[in-house]
Amino acid sequence: MTEILALDGLVKRFGSRTILDGISLNVSAGEIVCFVGPSGTGKSTLLRCINGLEDIQGGRISFEGQAVQGNPSAIRAVRKRVGMIFQHFNLYPHLTALQNVMLAPVVVHKEAKAEVEARARALFDKVRLAHRINAYPAEMSGGEQQRVAIARALCTNPHLLMFDEPTSALDPETVGDVLTVMRDLALEGRTMLVVTHEIRFAADVGTRMVFMDQCRIVEQGDPRAMVAGAQTERARKFLGTIHG
Amino acid sequence: MMQYWPLMLKSAGTTLWLSWLAMLLGALGGTALALLRQIRFAPLRWVVIGYMEFFRSIPILIVLFFAFYGVPLLLEVDISPFVAATLALALHASATMSEVVSAGIASVGRGQWEAAAAAGFSWPQTMRHIIAPQALRVILPPSVGVFITTLKESSLASIIGYIELTRTGLLVRDSTGGGFLPLLALGAVYFVINYAISQVGAALERRLHIGRRSDLVGAMA
Amino acid sequence: MGYSFTLRTIYPYFGDLWQSALNTLSLSLLAIVLSIALGALVALMRRSALRPVRLLGAAYVEVMRNTPLLVILYLVYFAAPEAGVRLSSFMAALVGLTLNSAGYMAEILRAGLIAVPPGQFEAAQSQGMSSAQVLRHVVFPQVFRTIYAPLGNQVIAVILASSLATAVALDEVASWMQTVGSSSFRFFETFVVAAVVYLVLCQSVNIARILIGRKLFPQGRRA
Ligand SMILES: Nc1ncnc2c1ncn2[C@@H]1O[C@H](COP(=O)(O)OP(=O)(O)OP(=O)(O)O)[C@@H](O)[C@H]1O
Ligand SMILES: [Mg+2]
Repeated sequence: MTEILALDGLVKRFGSRTILDGISLNVSAGEIVCFVGPSGTGKSTLLRCINGLEDIQGGRISFEGQAVQGNPSAIRAVRKRVGMIFQHFNLYPHLTALQNVMLAPVVVHKEAKAEVEARARALFDKVRLAHRINAYPAEMSGGEQQRVAIARALCTNPHLLMFDEPTSALDPETVGDVLTVMRDLALEGRTMLVVTHEIRFAADVGTRMVFMDQCRIVEQGDPRAMVAGAQTERARKFLGTIHG
Repeated sequence: MMQYWPLMLKSAGTTLWLSWLAMLLGALGGTALALLRQIRFAPLRWVVIGYMEFFRSIPILIVLFFAFYGVPLLLEVDISPFVAATLALALHASATMSEVVSAGIASVGRGQWEAAAAAGFSWPQTMRHIIAPQALRVILPPSVGVFITTLKESSLASIIGYIELTRTGLLVRDSTGGGFLPLLALGAVYFVINYAISQVGAALERRLHIGRRSDLVGAMA
Repeated sequence: MGYSFTLRTIYPYFGDLWQSALNTLSLSLLAIVLSIALGALVALMRRSALRPVRLLGAAYVEVMRNTPLLVILYLVYFAAPEAGVRLSSFMAALVGLTLNSAGYMAEILRAGLIAVPPGQFEAAQSQGMSSAQVLRHVVFPQVFRTIYAPLGNQVIAVILASSLATAVALDEVASWMQTVGSSSFRFFETFVVAAVVYLVLCQSVNIARILIGRKLFPQGRRA
């Protein structure tokens, strides 16, 4: 499998506080890597470093062979190929669902409107929101907004999708809709990084689980095997508490 | 220039007195208007809203001109610059204050009215004991802003010849042979007064928000 | 009452009124446009990474909001000649009004910028937008939504404040009322006429604001 993302000794500090302390990780095309771990261990920060929303203080990140550091145009080139889905959706409130999805392809990728619209409409079918296409974010439930956010990320044909706790701001009854869409994406063979507390989803869908604690990767491996019995004490304890 | 400072400070007192009086009258008038607006009688509401919109849509300066030059012709009475200025400032402040007070009353939820009615309070009793104390917290901070506005507007009294702070500044300028230093000093005096008042207002606001405890808000339950 | 309302005496002055109303209008419009530009600059200063720049921006706002416009007008009118610049009444009024209004515009714009959540910048950046694209397609429309109503209020405030230009000898509507009133002894009538002019100006702004607002911001777009 072709390697798509490589992290090598990544270090992230906020001021004098170290948040990520030497993270190394390689991700191949088609992998679904689920990140789990206690709050505040730097999972969100890790994703944000990968698309350059945070600068890094040490190590290397390369995406499809291109370094994600330094000059803004290189960072933007990477961002064009990486889709990000946020915990709080971050839909643009002044645009309809359809306009949200179409904005970046038209503005950033300079694609023809008609083409983008056809693709966007197909994506709304995929996320099962064809009927909400002209709604504004304020008129939609959290689950609907998050599915629009997924469509928005997909519409630029990204090579990698990053999800930061996509379901933890949702009402319990809408979590399922979002997870269903994510399962579909997994079946299509998309490459995904998913920070989540949904251990069952990670075990079912993930191809790899990465357990992080205190700024480091403590253990990684097959999700089902780790849920059944992790190697390290800390991972066992964490997966036990969150699962039971 | 130095010898004129006592004069400037004394006239700052005049400005404060004029603004304070106008603000007091404006607050009373504004409260009366806001209470009238509470009465469920449409024509009355329109009159109050018309009054507010009228005074918010014309400059205070023409009200001042009318009060000083027009009213004496109309009613054949003599009106001093002080009375004219107080009147014009108070009319304008009352329009703003009626909006501030209305917003304060509206900020108290329906539940309070219902709880009071359920407990057998009359309308005036509810207003006095339940609504007013809660509304006052919302009304006070913006009232400080209205006062600052009134204080700045009081400078217009100089145009009809009332000797307050601005007029004094202009007189000092004349008697020191022109120059803009006296005007800078004048601006500085206004700034210091208004800035001090705005800081008091900010402190008040912090105080009122920190004091927003649930036992105060939900006392009737 | 011995006073009877009649406009006949002041008919001859209506030509002057037209000229005065044009002065009021052009002064206000120019001051609004210029103070938005200056206010934007001050608002950006208040977000600068450099502390002295931030402080300067904050100080500007405080000074303008706590000093009477009349004093600022006198300062501009009397100080400019001493600095060797001869300003017409119109220019002095424009400069004073713009400086003063910019203090308020800066606060309006600052509040508009603060109201855009950080997540909006991040979402837009993560889609690969350049800074200019982020501002144009994501930030500006949201700022505009927030500042729309207060901006309308400020427009009205500037129109009303332009009446103070009479103090620096500009012929605008308030000074028309004063001069025509004192030469005809018809102050009630000139007051009514001046009030109508201002009412029409301000209420047009008000109604336009509401109608345009309804077009621009249908219910669902409220964040
Ligand atoms: N901009 C910032 N400035 C300073 N500290 C920050 C900043 N962003 C995050 N941190 C700190 O970095 C640490 C890691 O944060 P991060 O959000 O990556 O954790 P997380 O693993 O995603 O936790 P959670 O499960 O709660 O989302 C936290 O202690 C947080 O306080
Ligand atoms: Mg997180």
